[in-house]
Amino acid sequence: MRLADRICNRFEHDGDFIIEEHILAGRPVRIMGFKSLINLPKTWANLQSRVREASLDFSRDPDSALIVLNRLGHRISEPDEAALLAVMTAGDLIIFYEDPDTYLDVVPIPVTLTRSIEQPLNENVLQGSASAFNDDLATNFGLLKKELNSASLCTKVYLSGNHSPRKLALLYLEDQVEPNLLHEVTERLEANKNRDLYNLQRICKALGFQPWKAVPKFYTTELPMEAAHALRQGRIVLFMDRFPFAMILPALVGDIFMMENDRNYPILFMYLIRGLRIAGIMINLIMPGLYVALVSVNPEVLRIELALSIAESRSGVPYPAFVETLLLLVVLELIIVASVRLPKSIGPTLTVVGGIILGQAVVEAKLVSSLLIIILAATTIANSAVVGFQNSLPIRLFKYLTLILASLFGVLGILSGLVIICAYLASATTYGIPYLYFIKPKDDSHDG
Amino acid sequence: MMDKSLQVVLVHILIHIGLIFFIFPTNIIDTTTAAHWIPILLGFLFHWILISLYTKGLSLFESQNLLDIYIQFSKPVAVIFLLPLFIYTFMVTSVTIRAYAETISLVFLSDTPLWAIMLLTLLISGYITSLGVQALFRTGMLMALIFFPLIAFVLCMSFQNVDWHYIFPLWNRHFSFLTNPDYLESSFAFFGGFMYLGFIQPKVLFKRKKIIWGSLLLLPFFLMAVYIPLLTFGEETASQYHFPFIVAVDTIDITWLMFDRITMFFLLCTVTFVMLFTALTAWINVEILRRCIPKSIRTSYIVIGLSLLTFIMGINIPDWRDVELLFGLNAWMRLYVYLTIPSSIFILGWISRRKEAAAA
Repeated sequence: MRLADRICNRFEHDGDFIIEEHILAGRPVRIMGFKSLINLPKTWANLQSRVREASLDFSRDPDSALIVLNRLGHRISEPDEAALLAVMTAGDLIIFYEDPDTYLDVVPIPVTLTRSIEQPLNENVLQGSASAFNDDLATNFGLLKKELNSASLCTKVYLSGNHSPRKLALLYLEDQVEPNLLHEVTERLEANKNRDLYNLQRICKALGFQPWKAVPKFYTTELPMEAAHALRQGRIVLFMDRFPFAMILPALVGDIFMMENDRNYPILFMYLIRGLRIAGIMINLIMPGLYVALVSVNPEVLRIELALSIAESRSGVPYPAFVETLLLLVVLELIIVASVRLPKSIGPTLTVVGGIILGQAVVEAKLVSSLLIIILAATTIANSAVVGFQNSLPIRLFKYLTLILASLFGVLGILSGLVIICAYLASATTYGIPYLYFIKPKDDSHDG
Repeated sequence: MMDKSLQVVLVHILIHIGLIFFIFPTNIIDTTTAAHWIPILLGFLFHWILISLYTKGLSLFESQNLLDIYIQFSKPVAVIFLLPLFIYTFMVTSVTIRAYAETISLVFLSDTPLWAIMLLTLLISGYITSLGVQALFRTGMLMALIFFPLIAFVLCMSFQNVDWHYIFPLWNRHFSFLTNPDYLESSFAFFGGFMYLGFIQPKVLFKRKKIIWGSLLLLPFFLMAVYIPLLTFGEETASQYHFPFIVAVDTIDITWLMFDRITMFFLLCTVTFVMLFTALTAWINVEILRRCIPKSIRTSYIVIGLSLLTFIMGINIPDWRDVELLFGLNAWMRLYVYLTIPSSIFILGWISRRKEAAAA
């Protein structure tokens, strides 16, 4: 059986597959592809107009017809079933003609399957460009190139995976990038070309990161401005097709509280805002632990008036401060987890219910002290002060460490917890670049 | 390679702050009745000269490790100098952890058993040790950023109850403190912790000048640790207390603060610095041990084994009197280690330079 017929047979029951016979340049041809990926009428019109432009009389000169046809796309040198399938699933059109048997890979006019450029969904911008990256790789390149108009911006595109190949792009500034970093990343991507990359965990694995580390290895952002800034710092930006954000390698501690967008404010306010974010991190790490430590282990540290009023607010609470705090923290985590996925119409209901239950009823029922509500509210708000959602996750986790240690060792436990966190952050490195590393852009014209 | 002098200076200051504010004030106040600045300055001068000598000697060998330097001369040389260092460092880690655990349980955590506090400190310092020296110095940097403001605040506030009349008399003709065993013990703070400088290169590079000038920043802390209790209580009263500095900080009353005892935050900050100190000393021992045992044994096992031994030794000290006894014993070893190693390095450096010059 011939290859074209075999393909036909294979897709006999596939509603999406299309195979049509046509006449092009005076020769019978067959075109194959997927309806959902190819805008067929437009593509066909385009092909015909290209043939017409040659303005040759094909009935007299059959050889010229072959030349014109071959120009429409590139010839698949060793056509077999797998090669043709790969071309078609990637969204291209195949033109087949006989005598000699030739399969052409033609780039069609695609069906638009991507939303248009929109505002960022997860990061709001106050002063600055509001266009965010979206799912399409080429659009993301374009946005970044608009933002960073530089000839030294290099792009390497990889196709990784055997079962479902996916485009992966690596961008860097030739004159700024750390050569060692670039070398390590490209080497790993080359070595893992056969691996299917369809989520961030698999990318992490391909890039050789330890999977159980709490510190994020790349900083993801939807904003072209941030990605351009990272490039200027000599970092690498990774894009994956169908991932609406840039992955910046390596993630650094500065990403938790510094944004390039802060520089659109006067310098004084930039520092104040960043200071607030750092304060937010510290409050988040310390507050729940401090409450437990002061209530149950070291009450003598507090002023006597305060100690008494806390004791009074806790009178009737039937369990130790640690259990009390943990209970409410878990409820708060549940609210965050639940409200992320809820439809916008139900979300507010949850917040209201959560607010009433946590704010009032729990205190009135003497299940927790009112002071704890205040502390946990402050903690939760502070948690959101950091830049980027993925950066708030480790901080959310680390506060349980200080909490547990505080319940055992009081204030000493909190400080020990902070030391452990410091050591943990200090130990994190990406290809030899420590997480606690502050890069200054090499063309540092602005101070601060 | 990048110059990490800032990290080294910060860690140097941190670990010394950890050592200065506990037993050091007691020792100095016990050594003399007047003009305490003389023993402090004299000790500090020693500290400074030894660091200069040590770093000078090290700089003669280009960014080489103490171990490499000694082994390059001969194995017996290495044993003569490094074995006492090893024993001293091991002892100092266990005694320090025990002493600080005693203090913590005395001052803050009277209900918590001693072993639990020691276990916490050892686990943390063991964890930091296992991360390696570069991570250790970065940890120090981050800790300095977080804890320094607190320390500075408390130190500024501690001048609240000071009576400057107590500063007199400014001169004392008797240098009897030199023969006082307490003075020898106070060397714990003066040269307890700079031996690491010989081990961290070439992993952590530093510039000699920056370290020498940076270590001068310690002088105000040395002076404050002794003079704050002296100026608050007067010599007579201050000498009665076991931990005069802690009591002096306890007298601070800040009406607008919600906390009554800010001592706790101050002292616990210094405890975290001590964790860093023990991590660093344990790291030195790990480095020495790694040379003595087969390479196949993983570093983390050495850290675990060493921490376990330290814990066992610390827990087996019967009571505070024995801690003090061990401190006294330790002081003699320290004197030996801290006099011989810097000077020997300096001399060896000089010799090898001469050889090179002759060869050229």
